[in-house]
Parts: sequence; structure tokens; C-alpha cells
Amino acid sequence: MSESVILETKGLTKAFGGLVAVDKVDLSIEAGKITAIIGPNGAGKTTLFNLITGVYPVSSGQIYFQGGLLNNVPAHKRASMGIVRTFQHVHLFGNMTVLENVMSGRHPRSSYGFFEAALRLPKARREEEAISLNAIKYLNLVGLGTHAEHDALSLPLGQQKLLAVARAMATEPRLILLDEPGAGLNTSEKRQLSDLIRNIREMGISVVLVEHDMPLVMGLAEWVIVLDSGQKIAEGTASQVQKDPKVIAAYLGEEVE
Amino acid sequence: MLAGLKSKWAYLAAAALLVFLILIPFDWFLGRYTTIMIFIGIHTIVTVGLCLLMGYTGQVSLGQAAFFGMGAYISAILSKTYDVNPWLAMLIAAVMTGAFAYIIGYPIFRLKGNYLAMATLGLGMIIYILFIQLAQFTGGPEGMSGIPYLSIGGFVFNTSFRRYFLVWFFCLAVLLISQNIVSSRAGRALRAVHGSESAAESIGINVTQFKVKVLVLSAVYASLAGSLFVHHLRFVSPQPFDFLASVKLVVMAVIGGLASIWGAIFGAGTTHILSDELLLRFGEWDVIIYGLILMLVMIFMPEGLFVKLKEVFERLRLRYRRRGAEP
Repeated sequence: MSESVILETKGLTKAFGGLVAVDKVDLSIEAGKITAIIGPNGAGKTTLFNLITGVYPVSSGQIYFQGGLLNNVPAHKRASMGIVRTFQHVHLFGNMTVLENVMSGRHPRSSYGFFEAALRLPKARREEEAISLNAIKYLNLVGLGTHAEHDALSLPLGQQKLLAVARAMATEPRLILLDEPGAGLNTSEKRQLSDLIRNIREMGISVVLVEHDMPLVMGLAEWVIVLDSGQKIAEGTASQVQKDPKVIAAYLGEEVE
Repeated sequence: MLAGLKSKWAYLAAAALLVFLILIPFDWFLGRYTTIMIFIGIHTIVTVGLCLLMGYTGQVSLGQAAFFGMGAYISAILSKTYDVNPWLAMLIAAVMTGAFAYIIGYPIFRLKGNYLAMATLGLGMIIYILFIQLAQFTGGPEGMSGIPYLSIGGFVFNTSFRRYFLVWFFCLAVLLISQNIVSSRAGRALRAVHGSESAAESIGINVTQFKVKVLVLSAVYASLAGSLFVHHLRFVSPQPFDFLASVKLVVMAVIGGLASIWGAIFGAGTTHILSDELLLRFGEWDVIIYGLILMLVMIFMPEGLFVKLKEVFERLRLRYRRRGAEP
């Protein structure tokens, strides 16, 4: 049973002073599935992501990744363990090309440092070749292969978001967390994004997304978790959650389509 | 196609620069500029480190002259007072300065932006005061003279002509090394830290560690430059490492383009010629002029004067080619 659970939280709590942003949340994310976390603004969704990726230390409770305790693992080590995320506000590296952005995603899967780079030692050249080949592969995965040499920020928002996914995928994650991937995209971009997310799932990677766009969530997610005011109020398949009176109440009459 | 063209031009430019640099110290060419070119080479080495730190990684240092001075004083004291071989002294200076940067790196990088600027500024001032106050080692405000020349076997670098080649050998080596680093895995990590620290962390980059590493690298460059500086002048005093020196280094980096390795030569050169030929007349008012230059460049060409000129040159070249193509 626990073999199929990739991420688990127990009594996970985060308080900022008096404000409890995440309140004793128990989660169990199944491996190889697309899970959506939804909830009204301020429900604690992004804070939850920040706890899982180590941006904030937890106040209390535990996070387990593939059975191992994650609480005290520094943020930068979680990528090499197989956890990666994207950001609501994209956070691309504006001082790099599209390709270089994805190449930087290969950081945890390569090892040569300043010394080898300075003297262009064989190790550096060998790794660099592998880095760029892999980066091109992930760039093609999101359909941006022809934009490799462009400045990252010259892309329209939709493509920037795809690029951020490519950069995250380049780290070869087991679990990818997508923070509002659909925000600001038009209908055709959203369709492209949905296809990409399904593609990623097909590759055997577990996907967790935070999303406001209900049609997008309902079309994609195999499991939906609902947060409100930092607490988990419901979970289930998309159709189960939609009928849950607590969920409907949380959205304050805002109908869950 | 475009990339190939660009690299062909880059090779041509590099070859032209190399020939030009080799010819400069000959009397029938620009021999009378040999001394100023030695200083330009030395300052270029410091400036490149500052470019890596500020332009690529986005971390401000207003105290870079402290590392420059540490290299200078450690080399001077070891080789003069303790008769250590000057090359060994140079190496020890680089290791000590690098270790110092490593130790202060972790606490100092808990700070960001203006606070980091203030902390590095304070650091520069403290080190400067130490150069004056530790008089039994440093000779105090009068400094120390009689520092030996560098030599290889029986070949002593006792003329400006010889030292010119020594300094520019190191300078070009530092430029090449830095160029290699910028386009490598480590270089991308540095630029990622500049672009977005949280995104860098999310893809496995140890942000603090990379900041400290680039600070150490820039400190080692500065120390190396400081050692060359004292073995050239055979004299050291605190004045070239004061606050104004740190500001001048930032001006050099900014004029050359903060995110441009080869611009460092241009930045160091322009600033030197400006200060030696023109600003001398303003006496102590030169600080104001540096401030003004810094402001104007940052407002009107934040990529740096060098990068701007390169753009203008590119545009002119394209226009010329287009006109040439028309019948």
C-alpha cells in the first residue's frame, strides 16, 4: 500500500506568528497520478507547496517522501531527491536563453564545478555535451525546440510557463508540483498544457497541481484535495468533490462547475 | 549561420587584440604607455572578479579593494620581511585572502541588496584601517619599500617592459578562465542565483554556497592583482586600497558592462585614462565625478558602455553590409 504513496504529510502545520496558514494537514499523494489541490484564495495551497519544497521550515508535523522523512532536508537537496516545482509567477532566469534555462535544470544531474570549467577539462566538456543534449530533449517535450536561442523573457507568457515546466522536468523528478500552471493562459494554451501534464504522467512522474481553473482541474485530476483556511475539508475524485456540501460552502456559493 | 558569423568576428577581434597587446610596450609603438597598461592589466584582473560577483551573480561589493590590498600586503610582508620566495608569497596571499573571503562569506550573504552593500563597504574600511594601524607589519601610513622583484630562474622582472608581459599573461589567463566559467554549469548556477534565488534553489542549486564560491574566486583574483601590484611598484602603502579605490573598481566594472567579461579591459582602461589624464585636475573633487559617471552609466546604459558600443558597432556593420548588398 505504502509502495504506491510517493508523498505523505502527517499533522503538517505552518504558522506565521498568529496566522495558521496550514493547519494539521494529513495528505497522501499517490505515485503516478495527477492530484489537484484546490481551495479558495488564502486556503494555504501555495504555503503547502513551500513546505514540501523546503522554502519554509515546518512548524510541526512531518513530511515523508518515498517513505523518508523530509523535514530537515535543505531545499536545494530536494531536487536531486526527485521533488521539483514551478512557480505561480514563473520565475524564469531572465539573464539566459531559453536553452540555458533548461540546461540549468540539469544542475542536480551533473557534477563538474568551477575548477573543471575554468580549465575546460575533459570531464567538463563531456558533461556539458550531455547537459545540452538532455536540455534539448526536454525543450522538445514542451514544444519549444525552435526557440532555443531566444531570450527567455522574450517568449509570451504561455510559452514561458511551458519553459518553466521544461526546466523543472530537466531535473528528472519523481514528483512535480505545479503552482497554478494555467493562470493567465488562453484556451488553446490551456489545452496544450493539459496535454503536456498528461504526457508527464505517462512518463511515470507523479503530478500535483494547485489550480483555480476548475474545468482544467476536472479534466485532468484523478484525485482532488480541497483546502480551506489551512485545513483539508474534502478529498476524492473530481465528481465526488464537486457534490460535497462542505466544498460548495467553502466556495461561498461560488458554484463548482 | 548568424552564430557562425559571430564567432568568426570574435576570433578576428581576439587575434587583433592579442597582436595589439603584444606590440604596445615596444618603443616604436606605444612604449610610453607601458606603465599605465601595467596598471590597467592589474585592475582588469580585479574588475573581472567584480563582474562575476556583481554582474553575473547579482551580489554587490563596495569593499573589493580590501581583497586587493590583502594580496598586496601579504605578498609584500612575506617576501620582504620574511624573505619568502615571491611566487610562494603570491600563492600564500591568494590562499589566505580566499580563506578570509570564505569565512566572511557565510555571515555576509545572510544580507541582501543595500544591506550587503553597506556590509562590504564597512569591511573595506576596516581592512583599510588595519593596513594603517598594524604598523609593525605594514609600515603604517608610510607603507613599506624595497619589495623584491619577481623572477624566474635568473630572469628578473626588473623592467616595465618585462613586467608588462608578466601582468598581461596573468590578465589574459584570468579573462579566459572567467569566460570558461561563465558559460559552464557553475556559470549558469551563478546567473540563476541572479535571475531568481527561489527558482535556483528549486532546481537544486545551493544558493548560499555559490555566492560564497564566487566571492572567494573574486577575492583570489583581487589578491593575485595585489601581489602583481607590489612586485611592480616595489612599494606598498594603504592609500591605493581605500574606499575610493573600491568605488573606482565598481566604476570600472560598470563601464565595462557588469555582465561582460571582456568589457573589464575596456572599463579598467577607460577609468584609468580618465583618472590619470583628466580627473587629476579636479583634485579631491574626483569622487564626485566618479559618482556622476556611475549614475549616468547606470541610468542611460545599464548594460555598460562597452556593451553599448558593441551594439552600435553591430548596427553600423549591418547597415554597411546592407548598403553593400544593394546594387
